[in-house]
Amino acid sequence: MNRFLPREAWDRTLAIILLVLLLAFCTLIPGFYAGFGGTLAITEQFLPFGFVAIGLAVVILTGGIDLSVGAIASLSAVIMAILTKSAGLDIWLASLIALIIGAGLGWLNGIVITRLRIEPLIATLATSFIYSSVATALAGASPPYGFGKPFAVLGSGTIEGILPVQLLMFIVIAVGFSILITRTGFGRRIIMVGYNRDAAHYAGVAVPDLLRKVYGISGFMAAFAGIVLASYYDAVRPDMGNILLLTAITMVVLGGVSIFGGEGGILGVALGVLILGVLRQGMLIAGFSDMVTTMLTGGILLVSIAAKNLLSDRGFGYGALLLRLINSRKQEAAPPNT
Amino acid sequence: MSTTTLDAAPRKRKPRREVREITLLVVTIAIVLGVGLIKPQFMRYDNLEFMVLSAVVLGLIAIGQTFVIMTSGIDLSVSAVMGLSAVVFGLASTTIHLPLAAALPLCLILGAVLGSFNGLLVAWVRIPPIIATLGTYSLFGGLTFIVSNGTQVDQVSNQFAAFGNANLIPGLPIPTPVLALAGVALFAWFVLNHMVFGRNILAVGNNAVAAYNAGIPVKRTLLFVYMIAGALASFGGLVFVAYTGSATATTGTGDHVELQSIAIALIGGTLISGGRGNLAGTVIGSIFLSVVITALVFLHVPAIWYSAGEGLMIVAAVTLGARRGGAG
Repeated sequence: MNRFLPREAWDRTLAIILLVLLLAFCTLIPGFYAGFGGTLAITEQFLPFGFVAIGLAVVILTGGIDLSVGAIASLSAVIMAILTKSAGLDIWLASLIALIIGAGLGWLNGIVITRLRIEPLIATLATSFIYSSVATALAGASPPYGFGKPFAVLGSGTIEGILPVQLLMFIVIAVGFSILITRTGFGRRIIMVGYNRDAAHYAGVAVPDLLRKVYGISGFMAAFAGIVLASYYDAVRPDMGNILLLTAITMVVLGGVSIFGGEGGILGVALGVLILGVLRQGMLIAGFSDMVTTMLTGGILLVSIAAKNLLSDRGFGYGALLLRLINSRKQEAAPPNT
Repeated sequence: MSTTTLDAAPRKRKPRREVREITLLVVTIAIVLGVGLIKPQFMRYDNLEFMVLSAVVLGLIAIGQTFVIMTSGIDLSVSAVMGLSAVVFGLASTTIHLPLAAALPLCLILGAVLGSFNGLLVAWVRIPPIIATLGTYSLFGGLTFIVSNGTQVDQVSNQFAAFGNANLIPGLPIPTPVLALAGVALFAWFVLNHMVFGRNILAVGNNAVAAYNAGIPVKRTLLFVYMIAGALASFGGLVFVAYTGSATATTGTGDHVELQSIAIALIGGTLISGGRGNLAGTVIGSIFLSVVITALVFLHVPAIWYSAGEGLMIVAAVTLGARRGGAG
């Protein structure tokens, strides 16, 4: 796939960057290190982005994109809130229904993409409009809030006062998705479709069926993020998911997933989530405005793709060319010495 | 059906394109008349003028977007470019007191520079257009907030406002921006159909590798296309400031102008996969969208459903477009 930048090397680089970032922030930014548990609690602020990013990563691995994740997150959270507040359903049952609806909305994206043959970009752009309109209409003028203590555990609870529940869920989900992508036939087929859709088709992969499932997964994870957000804020808003998209895409790309599909892994995405999240929260704690951190997110998105392209065979690859030159020199020079 | 396919192909395509434009125009006029019957205020001169002026803003931006989509790209940053230019243009009037003759070219150059930045990212760094412009969307959007300090820029001087409302040719009741749109559209049509650059754009959109092998300067073409999109987005922002008299940090991005411009291009008959564009469709499409949105306001449809309507329109336009494209 990529001779000059194996995935392990990218993941290792990310892990080192994360360590350096954590060390630097703990020493340089007053208030960032607030005890072991206190610092871990920072993850609660950005892990909803991470849940979206993992679902989105699966879509991007197939070479597609899902711009409707933010709208699905909002709509699912609003549905959950209405089912509990107005219909009087048990909140956990309502959450489950909302998750299924989220997966269904993602599935609907897949239907639009595969049946109407609309490009994922345009299809999910259009459905995101529709979903967010429905969310706004359902939420009404005063969206529900106050879901009670037991539900708040999901967003801001901790285990033994140290490990945030969100972080635990994130680790479990990341490991689960990593196994799904690398160790199951379904996961390998996802990579195959992303790397070469036609080849996958000729090899007997039911591409449209696979794509519908993949968009369903993305919708499910977006809905999950929406419900965690609702629990964290103890309220829902029809536009609460809007902020998720740009950051989630940046996390996926930073994690080493090729935007063309077929390349990358969930471990890298999890590291990308932690790096970008820590960086953003660190800057916010250090007193930078939200606007500056958003600009920085956009900048990191561009720089990380540029860096990956620079070293990739499929991108413009000046860096790959350079490495190839160095490697060929080394090979020429090596035999006499050894 | 004709005897040879070679002969039949061009004859088949031409009328089909005109059908789309005429349908759009007829539907637009029908909406104006229909809503005008229910709500007579809809047909009043100032409302018609308002619809035309907002169509001009949308149309200018959508023409740039059409060019980008023809290269099989997409530009999500047009709304941020529009907002930044609008704020800078407003500040040039209120704070720096620049004359209009200086502020106008300055802002257009600003838009062109921002657009070229997109072009550089797409053509040289080879970042997929959707990602590159999503990144610059947040960069430019952030800049807009910083430049405007988060406050509204209003009370632009009369000289600036006159550019939006006055008539360029005395005696003719056509506002200057409408003439500007007509000029831009005609020039764009000429470039697309009668200049090498225009043919290059279509070649790049059809098959960038083949275009490269045929000796077409693919990177330079892409750079210019994104530059044009930036300049036109900026122009749209200037017209917006001139006729509303104010600009805020969320001008453009708040109304999702980037999505509206994409919707207009697709409704107008431009193929999302690139290689085919329809400028007349884009101009009529912008009038159509402006009329539809204003009509929804007049019919007291809650604002929350506008974006759902736009979404449905995109799906419908693309599905119909794909059917046509598949047949021809």
